[in-house]
Amino acid sequence: MMRSEQEVNRVIELYGDTVRRICMIYLKNYADTEDIFQNVFLKYATSSIIFENDEHEKAWFIRVTINKCKDLLKSFFRSRTVSLDDIVEKPEMILSDYREILEAVLSLPQKYRNVVYLHYYEGYTAPQIGHILGKNANTVYTLLTRSKKMLREKLGGDEYE
Amino acid sequence: MNKKIKTAFGQIQAEEQLKNKTKDFVFNKVNDYNSKPQKTRGWRLVPIAIWMLFVFMGGYWLYFTPTVAISIDVNPSIELGVNRFDRVISVTGYNEGGQELIKSLDIEHMNYNDAVNQVLNSQDITNLMSNNEIMTIWVIGEDGKQSTRIFSNLESCTAKTENAYCYHAQKKEVEEAHDLGLSYGKYKAYSKIKSLDPDITLEEVREMTMKEINDLINSFSQKNTNGINVNEHGYQGGEHGHRGHE
Repeated sequence: MMRSEQEVNRVIELYGDTVRRICMIYLKNYADTEDIFQNVFLKYATSSIIFENDEHEKAWFIRVTINKCKDLLKSFFRSRTVSLDDIVEKPEMILSDYREILEAVLSLPQKYRNVVYLHYYEGYTAPQIGHILGKNANTVYTLLTRSKKMLREKLGGDEYE
Repeated sequence: MNKKIKTAFGQIQAEEQLKNKTKDFVFNKVNDYNSKPQKTRGWRLVPIAIWMLFVFMGGYWLYFTPTVAISIDVNPSIELGVNRFDRVISVTGYNEGGQELIKSLDIEHMNYNDAVNQVLNSQDITNLMSNNEIMTIWVIGEDGKQSTRIFSNLESCTAKTENAYCYHAQKKEVEEAHDLGLSYGKYKAYSKIKSLDPDITLEEVREMTMKEINDLINSFSQKNTNGINVNEHGYQGGEHGHRGHE
């Protein structure tokens, strides 16, 4: 089954930013981001999955993007440290304060990054994140607590409480 | 911290260029998928079509290959081609009388038994037979089984008809007969008469009735002083030759 052009346009506008941010969390360069971005929406266009509701649809995009990123990372040897400059087309557009925060997030080990994003930006609870990532809710709690601590250390001070 | 992190993430957005490129990519791919299946669907039918053609040709071959020929000679000389399913697939008249006779018959695709019965019961044949003409029926087949079965069936069928004789022969000689434009029954009679009278021509024999040929052979055999053994019907049947009713 093929989805219509309107449907594809709709989901790119609706979930493009989310997919883009997950790519940022996982990937080391813009070219990979482009690949993942295209493959995620192509998968949507060619899949016949029927979504129960918008939440279900969004969670599907998050899960598919994470899986595709992981697959890509598995296929090549890639360095762990990343600069924001490599993964964003126009890094100069990002204010320096936010750059600092994003770089701090990206400096965290892989398993913390998506939890941070899903919790702080998308506002998912630990059980919801556990559901999306296929992890135990308690594990997610632990990851969140530790990443909070690490970020506080990197960014310094209590203002990030 | 929560709010700041959220805002920081909010700075990251899918670039317009990225979105547009992705849209182009996805639409191209989807169009490819949409157009490809139609092509491949067509190509997928090719092996099936070839297979069906083979089955059709095989069936055609099985049905339309004669395995047994039934040669019926009085004066009309006709020959029926019979396939492996005992159906008459061809009717050939080997002289004028024969061609006239087959025009009045509709026996193609009939079971050979019904077809032969229709020939024997046709107006032309019954008239001739009532004039004391002689009929020979040759069953010519490649394999033993089918032709033997047909032969024994026809033999019992001609047993009811006076002056009708049924013989059985192998296929090899038949081609030679057809090359000369004779039905097999006529050909056998011709070979016999040729050995007695080398001057006789094919044309003469073709239009002679079996009775005339028989009489001619008999007249030779009466003159014959060399002691050549000629049976009362003027010629010997094939290896499996049988005389029917006497």
